[in-house]
Amino acid sequence: MNHQCHWTEVENIFMPREAAIVRSEMATPTETHFTLRMVDGQPIEYEPGQIVELSLFGYGEIPIGFASSPTRKNTFDLVVRSVGRVSGAVCKLGKGESVYVRGPLGHGFDLAKLRGHDVLIVAGGIGLCPTRSLIQYILDRRDEFKRFVLFYGAREPVLQLFTDDLDKWRRDNDVEFYETVDRGDPSWTGNVGVITTLFPKVELSPETRAVICGPPIFYRFVIRELDLIGIPRDNVFVDLERRMKCGVGKCGHCQINDKYVCVDGPVFSFADVQGLEEAF
Amino acid sequence: MTASFIRSDDFAAFVTAMIEAGPVYGPVAKRSRFVFERLETPEELRLDYDVTILPPKKLFFPPAQDLIHFSGAGYEAALEPTEKILLGVHFYDVKAIDQTDLLFSERNYDVNYMAHRQTTTIVAANVQTVSQRAFFASVGADVSPRGHDAFLTSIDGGYVLETLTERGEALLKFGDFAPATDAQLAQAADVNAAALERCPEKLEQGTEAIAARVRASFSDEELWSALAADCFSCGTCNTVCPTCYCFDVQDTWNVDQTSGQRTRYWDGCLTEDFAKCSLGEGACENFREDRAARFRHRVMRKATYLNEKLGGPACVGCGRCSAGCTADIADPVRVINQIMAS
Repeated sequence: MNHQCHWTEVENIFMPREAAIVRSEMATPTETHFTLRMVDGQPIEYEPGQIVELSLFGYGEIPIGFASSPTRKNTFDLVVRSVGRVSGAVCKLGKGESVYVRGPLGHGFDLAKLRGHDVLIVAGGIGLCPTRSLIQYILDRRDEFKRFVLFYGAREPVLQLFTDDLDKWRRDNDVEFYETVDRGDPSWTGNVGVITTLFPKVELSPETRAVICGPPIFYRFVIRELDLIGIPRDNVFVDLERRMKCGVGKCGHCQINDKYVCVDGPVFSFADVQGLEEAF
Repeated sequence: MTASFIRSDDFAAFVTAMIEAGPVYGPVAKRSRFVFERLETPEELRLDYDVTILPPKKLFFPPAQDLIHFSGAGYEAALEPTEKILLGVHFYDVKAIDQTDLLFSERNYDVNYMAHRQTTTIVAANVQTVSQRAFFASVGADVSPRGHDAFLTSIDGGYVLETLTERGEALLKFGDFAPATDAQLAQAADVNAAALERCPEKLEQGTEAIAARVRASFSDEELWSALAADCFSCGTCNTVCPTCYCFDVQDTWNVDQTSGQRTRYWDGCLTEDFAKCSLGEGACENFREDRAARFRHRVMRKATYLNEKLGGPACVGCGRCSAGCTADIADPVRVINQIMAS
């Protein structure tokens, strides 16, 4: 056999580790925001944009992106939308209970390509969760980056995530924060319209590095705006969602053409995936 | 390593000695067809089989394999590999095993496959009967099988056993072998070469030309819709394929409702919900919703996507998918030759 590594010397990639829930909070009617700490005392070393497989024995595993920056030590955040068997069971858990995680997995944001540049993050809906790992990172290491612009779109005001953060970002001089909702309500005084309605509000340099994460439909419209600004496509990074069942590049569910989103991504340079017919 | 000869009269004793030493799996008859199963007696062994229903990958990558056992008290790896001999694997299936060896060990090394693989001695055997849909001579013809420990070829009066590894060499102690003569080795080579001449189906062009043309056909919606028009999305082509290795992972409870297992099951990219994600509130996104897109994905996987990594196509020409497909539309020869002519 060519693959000389002996099986007894290798860790089992499917074995998760226990993480204790130190905070569990309903973020929206369907999403729960968890803060977790590894029970064995070994924090997960990760990059913004990476994922974990989150599990509960008897229910199964789901892929979830880190929703906090590794600059915030000892704990990490995950936001889980209750949509199925695993997520539904996880969302019922509270402080003091345990979940199980495997990770970090995949390829996060290439910080070396963002440092020293203007950064624009465009997040839609639950896409704010994985990008929050980068938002916090930039805010924590603000000197390493130039201008920082954040666009966030939600369907309705009541579906906005991280409302404490939003309040802070609205007032924070370290980030130029613009937000919109597809449909307003009587309490909403901000912008109403799809995410692209935010672009006329700010002048962006073609030198900007752009990061996009949102629902599948989102990408083509945002990319069109970035093209108009003249941002080269290898300076555009997309954080893609797929069914990352195993998270280790084996099970096949997350493939986009010949790429495995769970190991080649979930963050890709747009230039690397724009030629893949199945990407957008 | 070495080349030895064993007389037909001594062969049953050789197999018996292996069975007495530990588990031996080989091709056995199941009604009118063949399957790899644990041998109880040497008489069951059918080295004249054409092709087995499922490929031998099931020994390393079982259709349902527990990864983790959990209970109220904790959880542990379920892996318990045992030493075994896998006897009578045709060269095309060895080529497929070479591929899954690479795919399960690269990037993230998967012990759940590799442990079973590394505790298995593989004895390949010459193709005595060629199956009706085989095309192993014309697919990836420049890729040679590598992962076997020994190769057994039936010749006049007995078998030549060529060993490639220490594991293969260790088999000699089970039988009454003599060094093979040059004439016996020459006959074994002829027998193996002759099998390649008997394939009923044939790809018209080489690996690289096929890979380029198939990849270029990606956006030909009309072509793929026509090829997939009769597809039932049943996934049989995936299930019987020796190089398919996609899986699903599911947890199940035992009857006590506190213990249970996390199990991986064979899955297939032709099935409708393979790439489907839930978005909540009843909404979902199916990233390969059309059956033509799923059908195309399989053909792309077999003919182009993995070629660079594998050094050849991810198809070995066994013909199992062709024979297994209810609508008889999965046949790679027909699909690829049609794309090449389009």
